[in-house]
Amino acid sequence: MISALLHVSLRQWRTHRLRVAMTTLGIALGVGVFFAIRTANAALLESLSLTVERLAGKSTLEVSAGEAGFPEQMLDTVRATPGVQLAEPVIQVIAHTAFQDEGNLLILGVDTTGDQQLRAYEFDRSQTQIADPLTYLAQPNSILLSRAFAERHGLKIGDHFPIFTSHGKMDFAVEGIFKPTGVGEVFGGNIAVMDIYSAQVVFDRGHNFDRIDLMNAPNVSVDQVQNSLRARLPAGVDVVRPEVKGQSLENAVTAMRLGMMISSFIALLVGVYIIFNSFTIAVNQRWKEIGILRAVGVESRGIGFMILGEALLMGIIGSVVGIVVGYFMAVAASSVMGSIAASVYGIVSTAVAPSIHPEYVVTALLLGIAASVGGAWMPARAASRLNPILALHNIESRQNESALGWTRGLLAAALLAACVLLIQFSPSAVGMELQFSYAALELIGLTILLPLLVRGAARALRPLMDWAGGSEGALAVDAMIQSPRRSAATVGALMVGLMFVYSTAAYIQSYKLVVSRWTSQMLNSDIVVAASSLLRSTSYHFSEDLGQRIAAMPQVARIENVRFTIVPFNGDTAAITSEDMDGFLARSSNAVIGGNKNTVLNLMPRGQGVLVSRNLAARWRLKVGGSVHFDSPTGPLDLPILGMLDDYRSDKGTIFMDRSVYKRYWRDDAVDFVDVTLKPGQNAPAVKHQIEQMTASSDHALVYTNVEFRGWIGGLVDKFFLLNYMQLVVAIVVAVVGIANTLVISVAERHREFGVIRAIGGYRSQIRKMVLLEAFAIAVVGVIVGAIAALFNIQFMSVTVSTVLAGYNVPFYFPWLLILETFPAVVLVALVAGWFPARHAMQAPVIEAIGYE
Amino acid sequence: MIQLTNVSKSYGADQGVVALKNINLQISTAERVAVMGPSGSGKSTLLNLVCGLDEPTSGSVKIDGVEMAGLNDDQRTRLRREKIGMIFQTFNLLSTLTAIENVALPLRLQGKSKKDAESEAASMLSRVGLKGRASHRPDELSGGERQRVAIARALIFRPPLLLGDEPTGNLDSHTGDEILTLLDTMQQEYGSTLLIVTHNLQTTNFCTRMVTLHDGEIVGDQPCGSGPVRAKG
Repeated sequence: MISALLHVSLRQWRTHRLRVAMTTLGIALGVGVFFAIRTANAALLESLSLTVERLAGKSTLEVSAGEAGFPEQMLDTVRATPGVQLAEPVIQVIAHTAFQDEGNLLILGVDTTGDQQLRAYEFDRSQTQIADPLTYLAQPNSILLSRAFAERHGLKIGDHFPIFTSHGKMDFAVEGIFKPTGVGEVFGGNIAVMDIYSAQVVFDRGHNFDRIDLMNAPNVSVDQVQNSLRARLPAGVDVVRPEVKGQSLENAVTAMRLGMMISSFIALLVGVYIIFNSFTIAVNQRWKEIGILRAVGVESRGIGFMILGEALLMGIIGSVVGIVVGYFMAVAASSVMGSIAASVYGIVSTAVAPSIHPEYVVTALLLGIAASVGGAWMPARAASRLNPILALHNIESRQNESALGWTRGLLAAALLAACVLLIQFSPSAVGMELQFSYAALELIGLTILLPLLVRGAARALRPLMDWAGGSEGALAVDAMIQSPRRSAATVGALMVGLMFVYSTAAYIQSYKLVVSRWTSQMLNSDIVVAASSLLRSTSYHFSEDLGQRIAAMPQVARIENVRFTIVPFNGDTAAITSEDMDGFLARSSNAVIGGNKNTVLNLMPRGQGVLVSRNLAARWRLKVGGSVHFDSPTGPLDLPILGMLDDYRSDKGTIFMDRSVYKRYWRDDAVDFVDVTLKPGQNAPAVKHQIEQMTASSDHALVYTNVEFRGWIGGLVDKFFLLNYMQLVVAIVVAVVGIANTLVISVAERHREFGVIRAIGGYRSQIRKMVLLEAFAIAVVGVIVGAIAALFNIQFMSVTVSTVLAGYNVPFYFPWLLILETFPAVVLVALVAGWFPARHAMQAPVIEAIGYE
Repeated sequence: MIQLTNVSKSYGADQGVVALKNINLQISTAERVAVMGPSGSGKSTLLNLVCGLDEPTSGSVKIDGVEMAGLNDDQRTRLRREKIGMIFQTFNLLSTLTAIENVALPLRLQGKSKKDAESEAASMLSRVGLKGRASHRPDELSGGERQRVAIARALIFRPPLLLGDEPTGNLDSHTGDEILTLLDTMQQEYGSTLLIVTHNLQTTNFCTRMVTLHDGEIVGDQPCGSGPVRAKG
């Protein structure tokens, strides 16, 4: 029987090739996006771990203490620890070269005598007679370059090239060129090596190192050495295996990876709607065939299996196609993710081509099949329950619209209410997985409610359609009113896509609004001089000398040197913003929330307290009056919390303290920003120009007026959301395929209806108009339903997603304007998607359609 | 009203399947003609040619003096819309529309407002005895009621020509008789020409003329029963 049913199914496929192709495409797209994101994520992680592995060389442990580093005396302690066979200090800097086209160069400052035992440097001997170029690095301003970088810039041994250091632009001599293997592979080959003590001087590291890489003795385990080091080193110093360091880099890009995963699930979900729609319609089209099969002895269960078997087969084919397409999508996605990891998160990575992971192939295949079979489940059940007598008569009937019952309506309302309450009141401690399941509640509720929403929206639309579209318009929308379930899956696919677009856009907009408020309250100096084009410069910094030179300008009333860095905090990390607090509070005391203002103004400049960002307070349940504890490189530090602020620089949270405290405890006097306040009446653009001239030949300084700086922040926000914009594109593409697919299917389903209309006097052009107006109606109803769904999802994003991914809530913002602005585009897309089905419908032969034998 | 002259119709790539051969048939206004014949005799093809859904391979089809061959698709559609009402064996009602909406459909396709079209449709439904069933959908109606809706839809624009394709083929004999009685009444009231394709001898009693087709040729053309078969009971 199975082979007979399979034969029937395959014949059906042959007859309805377009429907089968579009449905398979729906599955392929969902699976493809899912597979691509998983694979690209894996490629990014491989790239991060490869980078860590290459940079770590043979080291088994790394000693570090946040970005500011630690005093070099610690090297002696490490070397003296039993079980440590070799310990080598490192300074790691991403420096700016003065080349026009390529700014960044990863510079490793190493001890030239011992580092070769840890890291493999394969030198290109063809250009030099020097046996060991590393030994020549001890000479000041000497540098070794990777062949990739040297070739890109036409550099040879003996050539000089300029790098921006903390003391201005300096020329470095190329002493050797190493091959693009081992360390030479890192950072796309943009890597150089110099002497660590020279690096300390030129990059203003004082007597600090960034980390110590070490090897344990063969007879002592890594764990033993780790424990011994932890016992000997100050509390704020981290001793971890290199792979753990890789893990922390992975954690840094978690938000980006999670965001992409969410979008891939959205794509898969739209695929499920497409499959559901396709199979519902397939069952409707095949009533008579099902009746005949039942009449010739196929059990109702057999009918159900036949439909599910088709879904299974379609799921397998769609998934295989999706996996192949997904791999190519992964190549593009991993390149973008790598670039964002570098530009937004400041993470050094090494380009790795995505590899095919068998477990992802299996997962994607299983998910594709599950989505396909799951989507076909209800239609299969309906088919198996079909009354064979009615089916055999092939008479007009319609599906039971039980989906519109009050019970289901109440269930949907209960699910949505539960979702809203959980989002608003559930503690974040319940875990990310559980929190994200609230979105599933929301989607299930909305899906149950869809037919009601479709009918309501279609009813609201009817007068307009009747007025503007004539009888065809009313007929197009009447079909949705009378049979909302038929349109529900189409609208559902569109709803998910648009909901995602609207809520993501609302989230971004809301985020931008709070950032704008934040910049006006806190980043309000007249001119800002930045060390990096990123919000946080991980390695290149100014010396305090720059601030002094700016402060000496006659137009300048005051400057504040600002250091923004990440430090270990409570077993995790937090950001510290250290600056001259009297100047900062003079500009921004209004931004302080809670606490006694006078106490803040009095104690903060004296270094006798801190201000904490609200996301840090929420994360660690901190309150004004409580305290924060740091294990700084020089010892423990406890400071009272005097007030709170809204700050959006770090998803881990930010602690504000006076610069004097930071310098004392972290032994770090580097400067990332110089905030400049001008004397009254001074012209900011003119002063900016002067500062640019002053720094042009010495510092890699980016000078902004306040307006420009806020624009620059906006640009960074856009960069941060680049992936979200990509997700929007994915959602739109999937929604377009969804519309096209469902219209093709809808036209196929209404073959007979159109035939009847033609037989009783409907023009071909009226049929075309009807299909296009149906596409229009679907678009309009989709926008309405998508906006309703977005209401729930915006709450989910502004509370749950925002807290999980960014560490803080953003206010609820509904994007009315965006919905209105994008409405014509949605309609246009729907009409374009409906054009081919409309042509198909108008050209269908009438006699065949109306069922003459 | 209907004039077929030397009409032939063949199908297939090499025109190997001959459905109609040299048909000559003239049907006058208000005449009631039944076309009989076994399956495959060409009855449905004849009906398709008359309503302009199909074109003859050769010969001429004229409806109300208009040569169908000279019309393009839109013009044939307009002719159908204005002059031909169709009743099908399988009713061919739109399942998503109510009875009144199905009946009003031809008027709405002609551009009438929903209000006006449904007002006329309500009146027509009342005429076919379905006043109380206007808001029901096809699946909520019996077979006879569905065919009444189909008749109401076919007559809503008072077509001069009414075509029926086995209009009682899906109904039991009692209901079939009721439908024929209704058709009789309506045809008399509207003065439409009636051409019915049927297997059912009972139906021929309701017509005044019976044309018999066999293998695509007219093998008989004779007067038959003088009026409707009244519903029993």
